[in-house]
Amino acid sequence: MAGVMIVEDDSALRELLRDALEKRKYTVIAAADGKEALAKFRPSIVDLVITDLLMPEEDGLMVIMKIREIKPSTKVIAISGGGMAGPGSYLMMASKLGADAVISKPFLPSELVMKVKELLE
Amino acid sequence: MSARKDKNQADNSQITPVNDPVADSRLGALAGGIAHDLNTVITTIYGYSEMALEGLADSPEAAENVRRIIGAADRARMLTRQLLDLSRQAAREKVPVRVAAVLDDTIDFIRPSVPEGIRILRRVTAHDAYVNAVPDQLFRVFLNLTMNAVQAMTPKGGTLTVTIGCREDETGIHQGDQCRELHIRFSDTGKGMDKALQQEVFKPFVSAGKEHGTGLGLSVVADAIRELGGTITVSSEPGVGSAFDIIIPGAFFGTLPEKH
Repeated sequence: MAGVMIVEDDSALRELLRDALEKRKYTVIAAADGKEALAKFRPSIVDLVITDLLMPEEDGLMVIMKIREIKPSTKVIAISGGGMAGPGSYLMMASKLGADAVISKPFLPSELVMKVKELLE
Repeated sequence: MSARKDKNQADNSQITPVNDPVADSRLGALAGGIAHDLNTVITTIYGYSEMALEGLADSPEAAENVRRIIGAADRARMLTRQLLDLSRQAAREKVPVRVAAVLDDTIDFIRPSVPEGIRILRRVTAHDAYVNAVPDQLFRVFLNLTMNAVQAMTPKGGTLTVTIGCREDETGIHQGDQCRELHIRFSDTGKGMDKALQQEVFKPFVSAGKEHGTGLGLSVVADAIRELGGTITVSSEPGVGSAFDIIIPGAFFGTLPEKH
């Protein structure tokens, strides 16, 4: 089964997303911030990265740039609570950096899981 | 924020409404930060509620209670939306921005992801030059231009030189301490562009190649510079490199508190 990395600094949300994805039989690697994500990233395992954007240490934009450098085919879903509007929004910047999908918080896990499935098909 | 007249003030003639875009911008950032954190919490509430509902097909009463939790989360979501609206409203206000500090932030931000063999040089003569801009607007411009240059120099390597100076220093026409026109140049030693691409490069969805992104970057840059009342031009030669010249009128010198 495909491998998904979750990068989210909120531990409750991180565990929720892990539960939702493991239930659908994805292999999940979780990280609390960008720095941990880059340390744990394994190109042979991870096919898709779900990353929050505003995090301590390395932020999500940096995660996208670095992971794309290591394995350009990695699919990326950026999630953020800052909303979609505004030219300077993090989600818009993530989109410009090549995130395959951006999802604004709050969202339903089923919505995210559907997007994961779509991108990995 | 505007200072409101105090109805209990005996002599209110000295109180005048004050527009403080810096304070507005900080309040907006605070509101945005709170909304961001609350949206994360609400996502967790939605998530576990959704999961709980999956297991409550045979317990209509318990399922109804979970739906009430979701209803409460919906109301919280409306509140965070209002906070974000407030934040965006404040984010559209222009404040004095120190241009050299924005360049430092941009380079600090992007440096860890710049491949080896690419150097970024700063040549700043107008250290204390400010322009009135929406927070993050210049950062976006600089980030796009830097990323554009880095992509043009990958994988061969090269040098991006960013200069910030006054046009008066170049033309020799000084008017006191003012820097009426700020000249910012991003000059790289990358692949360069032919004449046809140079003419199209500020249009949306025009890119040096699919691997170089969506092609939105430079059109966003051009829009932002236009909003600042400035101009941007490109000169380039295939195989030699490209230079983007930005002229922003109405720059001024100062020692304002850092906020960009």
